[in-house]
Amino acid sequence: MAETKVKEQNTVASVENPELPVDPNWEPVIVGILCNWCSYAGSDLTGTSRIQYPPNIRIIRVPCTSRIDPVMIVKALQTTGDGVLVSGCHPGDCHYITGNYFSRRRFLVVKQMLWTMGYHENRVQFSWVSAAEGAKFAQVVTKVCNDVKALGPLHRFKKEDIK
Amino acid sequence: MNYSKQIQDIAVRLFTENKIDVFVGYRKNVGDDNQTPFIFKNPALCDKLVFTEKSTHNLTNYLTNETTKSKKVGLVVKGCDSRSLNLLLTEGQVKRDNLYIIGVSCDGCVDEKNEKEARCIACVMQSPVIYNEMLGIEKEKKTYTIDADLLKLKHMSLTERADFFTEMFSNCIRCNACRQSCPLCYCDKCVIDQDSSLYHNGANTTSNAGMALMTWYLHLAGRCVDCRNCERACPQNLPLHLLHKQNEMVIYENFQNHQAGMYEKDRGAFYKYNLSDPDDFIM
Repeated sequence: MAETKVKEQNTVASVENPELPVDPNWEPVIVGILCNWCSYAGSDLTGTSRIQYPPNIRIIRVPCTSRIDPVMIVKALQTTGDGVLVSGCHPGDCHYITGNYFSRRRFLVVKQMLWTMGYHENRVQFSWVSAAEGAKFAQVVTKVCNDVKALGPLHRFKKEDIK
Repeated sequence: MNYSKQIQDIAVRLFTENKIDVFVGYRKNVGDDNQTPFIFKNPALCDKLVFTEKSTHNLTNYLTNETTKSKKVGLVVKGCDSRSLNLLLTEGQVKRDNLYIIGVSCDGCVDEKNEKEARCIACVMQSPVIYNEMLGIEKEKKTYTIDADLLKLKHMSLTERADFFTEMFSNCIRCNACRQSCPLCYCDKCVIDQDSSLYHNGANTTSNAGMALMTWYLHLAGRCVDCRNCERACPQNLPLHLLHKQNEMVIYENFQNHQAGMYEKDRGAFYKYNLSDPDDFIM
């Protein structure tokens, strides 16, 4: 009884749904889908430069942001992810010349669609990080991590265990 | 709007001139006033052909099945149907030489309760964009308006919207009638049919139904022409058009007023890009 009271005192209301309390010690899982040529190299630079960033991000390396089917983002939210970060080359810097121009269109549509479906806009975030921007990558991951921490665990449309 | 007699005459003429092998049109139901799509193979049956404001189905869905594939086909299209036909031609699914298209300048269809359909009130293109022969008077393109149902949804709070879609997905029985009735879903093997793939499986749970529907929505983003064959086919009467209209709205507002299938050789919105596309949402 005493333990539960202590727990209740320590919780903060979720930004997404004020009725849901969030444990401040809870650590989110963020799925990072990074392009091989810029953002993945950028995250590598963050590591080799010894810049600290939250370890909550689980990185998936893809050849280009235009390889990312929007369904991959939805799937990440449906399984383990509480948030998704998609990152690629700056416009004009794509290794495949135009890949990120195509993906930019898809991202806008999928972001708006998920918002309409009731996902908070901070659950899915996008960024352009080049291979030289190690410090920016750390900032971006910290921001996404803090945003998702304020939202709390994702319960919507989660994959049920089939028995 | 009654073009039954003219369409019957044209169909008989095309059969006698050997211009077509089959004719895809509407036939009146036996029990009620509604109509059913019907593939006519025999000119003697052509007196059963009708076209009134009850002719609401999109017939271009029947161009990619076995009965009509690689045959000479005559068909009736309204404004919305001609847009999906345009996309099918651009995507290489049907050959223009095999088709004889009768375009009808539409005044809007009515539903089973004899009320004008919601999609027809907001319709932008009433006269066909591609045809061999046109019936009725050509009408001008109308301005785009945001769907009324979508606006209602936009005013709801985040949790209300999430509840709305949770209920919608939990009511889905995964019969795939929406996919099957969609004229632009023509793949022989559909990704959402996989029993156990990385993304999809056949389980009938809320999240899996949602996943399948979301995949379907995203594959049709920038291509959907709002014919609402899916909603008509849905046995659970789910409001399937909402997210299609949502994607259509985002694409119209952000990508140079793109509307699917309005011009020949114009592919979906995701097949092209513009340097000035918005990216203020990207960090």
